[in-house]
Amino acid sequence: MIETLTFDVTVVGAGPAGLAAALEADAQGAKTLLIEREARLGGILKQCIHDGFGLVRFGEKLSGPEYAERFMEQLPKSKVTVFTLSFVSKIEREDGVNILTLVTRDGIRLIRTRSLVLATGCRERTSRQIGVHGRHCAGVFTAGTAQYYTNILGKLPTKRCVILGSGDIGLIMARRLTLEGAKVVGVFEAKPTPSGLTRNISQCLWDFDIPLHTSKTVTRVFGEARMSAVEIASVDDCMCPVAGTEEIIPCDALILSVGLIPENELAESIGVPIDPKTKGALVDERNETLVSGVFACGNALHVNDLVDYVSESGETAGKHAAHPLPIQRNLVPVECDASLLYVVPQRLNQNTEDTERVFFFRSSADLDNATLTVTRNGQTLFSKKYAHLRPPEMERLSVHLKSDQLAGAEPVCFHLEGSRNE
Amino acid sequence: MNDTIHMEQAVEIVCIVCPNGCRILCKPSGDGASFSGYRCKRGIEYATAELTRPMRSLTTSVKTVFPDSPVVSVRTDGEIEKSRIREVAFALGRIMIDRRLKTGDVVAENICNTGVNVICTSDRLVHPY
Amino acid sequence: MSYIKKLNRKLQERFHGSVQAFERDGCLVLQGALEQWDDVVSAGLLAVNRRCYDGLVNDIIFTGGVIPPMRLPALQDQALDGVEPDVLIIGGGIVGCAIARECARYEMSVLLVEKEHDVAMQSSGRNDGMVHPGVDLIPGQIKRRYNMRGNRMYDQICSELDVPFCRSGQYLCFQSKGLAFAAYFAQVYYKLFGPRCRYLGHTKFIKREPNMNQKIQAALFFPDAGVVSPYGLTIAYAENAVDNGVRLSLDTAVLDMKLDAHRIVSVSTNRGTIYPKIVINAAGVFSEEIARMANDRFFSIHPRKGTNTILDHKAAKRMTAIVSSFGTSSTKKKHTKGGGLVKTIDDNTLVGPDAVETYRKEDFSTAAQNIADVFEKQRMTDPALSLRDAITYFSGIRAATYEEDFVIRKGRRTENIVHAAGIQSPGITAAPAIAVDVSRMAAELLAKTREVRKNPEFNPIRKAILRPNELSDQERDQLIHEQADYGEIICRCEQVSRGEVKAALHRSVPCDTLDGVKRRVRPGMGRCQGGFCGPLVLQIIAEETGMPLEQIDKNAPGGELLFGTIKEVQSE
Repeated sequence: MIETLTFDVTVVGAGPAGLAAALEADAQGAKTLLIEREARLGGILKQCIHDGFGLVRFGEKLSGPEYAERFMEQLPKSKVTVFTLSFVSKIEREDGVNILTLVTRDGIRLIRTRSLVLATGCRERTSRQIGVHGRHCAGVFTAGTAQYYTNILGKLPTKRCVILGSGDIGLIMARRLTLEGAKVVGVFEAKPTPSGLTRNISQCLWDFDIPLHTSKTVTRVFGEARMSAVEIASVDDCMCPVAGTEEIIPCDALILSVGLIPENELAESIGVPIDPKTKGALVDERNETLVSGVFACGNALHVNDLVDYVSESGETAGKHAAHPLPIQRNLVPVECDASLLYVVPQRLNQNTEDTERVFFFRSSADLDNATLTVTRNGQTLFSKKYAHLRPPEMERLSVHLKSDQLAGAEPVCFHLEGSRNE
Repeated sequence: MNDTIHMEQAVEIVCIVCPNGCRILCKPSGDGASFSGYRCKRGIEYATAELTRPMRSLTTSVKTVFPDSPVVSVRTDGEIEKSRIREVAFALGRIMIDRRLKTGDVVAENICNTGVNVICTSDRLVHPY
Repeated sequence: MSYIKKLNRKLQERFHGSVQAFERDGCLVLQGALEQWDDVVSAGLLAVNRRCYDGLVNDIIFTGGVIPPMRLPALQDQALDGVEPDVLIIGGGIVGCAIARECARYEMSVLLVEKEHDVAMQSSGRNDGMVHPGVDLIPGQIKRRYNMRGNRMYDQICSELDVPFCRSGQYLCFQSKGLAFAAYFAQVYYKLFGPRCRYLGHTKFIKREPNMNQKIQAALFFPDAGVVSPYGLTIAYAENAVDNGVRLSLDTAVLDMKLDAHRIVSVSTNRGTIYPKIVINAAGVFSEEIARMANDRFFSIHPRKGTNTILDHKAAKRMTAIVSSFGTSSTKKKHTKGGGLVKTIDDNTLVGPDAVETYRKEDFSTAAQNIADVFEKQRMTDPALSLRDAITYFSGIRAATYEEDFVIRKGRRTENIVHAAGIQSPGITAAPAIAVDVSRMAAELLAKTREVRKNPEFNPIRKAILRPNELSDQERDQLIHEQADYGEIICRCEQVSRGEVKAALHRSVPCDTLDGVKRRVRPGMGRCQGGFCGPLVLQIIAEETGMPLEQIDKNAPGGELLFGTIKEVQSE
């Protein structure tokens, strides 16, 4: 007999977003279930053993596991029901109720839940998605996989490697592998500017004399069963390799840090519309998606660079998932032009008492002395000055907007201006 | 220890104290240096330290005897001199944890006479979750 | 004027004395030296003549590069030394494995040797998995005969071996009004000679496949086309063969043979010398080398590389069957196998393949340009085709002869060999039928020395590893209560459980690599490409086999993933 359980709020994923969402929903009095497919809670933080987590939230430089444990410690004191090693294989919707099919070591379980919070995190772009060619031998790892081998299994996946992409995990792994005895030949970035945080470039690369080469990419992999070398080439403005610039670098591994993609397969299976810019769900300021009763948060919503904001995003979702709106939403679109990579939320609800609206955005260029202007119907709603803006560094912005400022269907538009920093 | 700044030309230092990553321009000025580009006073402290005695915290893993968690994550509970990072990391390679330590427990006291302790940063040895 | 004379004149004109043709023992032989590999192949294609000769042997020396020698296993032991099987099968591709299983129907001792660490490691694991209806095959071809017979056998074989198979059908699309008109007449031809086919006008086609190019004017639908996992079927054949008493020796390469009076006496390998009564040559791209060792070379292989791309499950929703366009599938010009869009048995879309002549028989590298070209071509069929949906790509090498046909026969000069050589597309389709004939030929040869009876114990049924994902919730729940490991999902993209991974490690064909598990139960086949599940599968392999983590290979010996414990490894 398959067991059916009923909850007010069900959170899928127990990484930093899901932990915060579940604890917040519970604090708001909702009967809450937290589902995790792995054996341990904490999501990717389990393997992020470097420090720097929690500066915003706790004013401390914690490691990933420590940060996660700050939340996990609260679970026994809460009423949150936690299922680990539980996999959501299917979601169906029936009269506005979400029905989840769970695969667990104890059998199949059905969960009926009024509110569903998707905190499913993100996955790494693979070598195939960026078109790494040549031999398909052992030795191509995403930075996160290399991190798992090193930090969880305590095994080195390389003795001499090339890192492609300058995302933060790649930079962190450059330092980590160096400290564990591997040689990192260099970090290669196809774009003209690095993708990771400036401080990570400083403390992970410069501190260990690891060179960073921009506008260069890996064009081919060589090797039989295991990698023996890679071919590097310069790229032009269109990111195409330039003939004649090829260089062969002997190495046993190619480690990729070429971007993260929000995981939204479950969301899409129930028809949640996705923002092509963030690759996450379209949400309102309460992190509710366009499917009522379904919320999204954390890196499943948009890829963050700070865990502190991931937790905040989870809390927002958890809080509102616990309190369904008494009246239907009336949503106004939030748009941004090409000066921004994206802005979240992408919708604002007119029918709400709460006037505080928190936005997260990224500039699409390196800007100095920038001004953000938010307009509607040609009228400026607010503006703010920033000394520096960089695409890798996400900005958080809290603004008070009253319902009457949002009357009508016209979009709220975000625009950035500033001097380009080359 | 000589903590006075001696600099002959301007350098840019990226502050790593917080995610802002301020680029602090340090110029020779009299007997010391002048700073610009920082967003808070921690930036000046960091830049001063970088010019005299750069300090870093170290995060790494140490081996355990437990097959369920062959390694456990650790960090220094304070900063150590940057130049000693490799030495300390190497010293930690000789440690084998045989007790089920919890987060915050000391793995090694006063590691390599740096004056800081190395502490465990994960509960994975004590909690099955 | 004799054919040879005419041919030599043409060769003189084209290659200015660098190439000469002559007849030797009923075969046409080319000799000389050329700098371009394409020229070596063109000379062969120019010379080939099936009506007058038993085969074309291309002995032109290629001076423009070094043809890499066959990759050999590192393993060296004497495990097979002195073994005297009735039948030695060389090659663990689909043909060799199917022959092994069919040989097990007779009372014969069978040894199957494969130089790689698993079966289906070369062409059989590197193709589009299409069960062809035989659209572009010409009556009279050996491959057409086997394709037609093999196709009909698929339902039964896949049911016996518990391998998923779907007759999804194939559309051959025509883009212009003129071609649509021709297609209408083509169906008359197919009605006479097969395969079965139906003509669909523009409206009917678009109604059935609304996401395909709206410019398609007509399509022929071939309901007998199907899809199968080519490595899945090869593994199933091998497992069923082993279950029926066939001895399988992996990491075993044939190095040489000794003959005495037109008979192979012994076969030396890296694992000792074997003394078989009958030898079956199913060595794929290396079948010419095996024929040479057996002193029975009457054909030549010119390897032809093809690259395929696999798209995400999401993209597979765009169609219901195999869709190819006429004009992309012209096999005449440059032998560019047209390929198409194949909705695979695992519900992905496969795009490809192309066809590029190469002298490197084991170069499975890929190049961005080939894939871009294939996509460009296939946009004729589906204009929305996007590389962004690609989750992986791979290439395979087809073992084409200059006759562009299979070689399925007893030896010409050597008495105790049977060749199943030159098998390229549609080899997957043809394999079940080839196996029936080749095993019978082996039994006939053996019957010259002793009586060969049918094996009364032969069990054609093989049970696959359970696929809990395909069960109903109730059945799955029941299964998990019996074995909790089936309730722990290891691979999130393909929903593979710990129970399935463990099962893959304890089958009758050994498996101890990450990719071996992937080929059997699919962890890592999804969009994350094993980023999350790879380390978990590695740990399960270590637990189940007792191997240390750092000894486990990704795909083949020498392909270890890890180098040792942190802080103990010396950098290089």
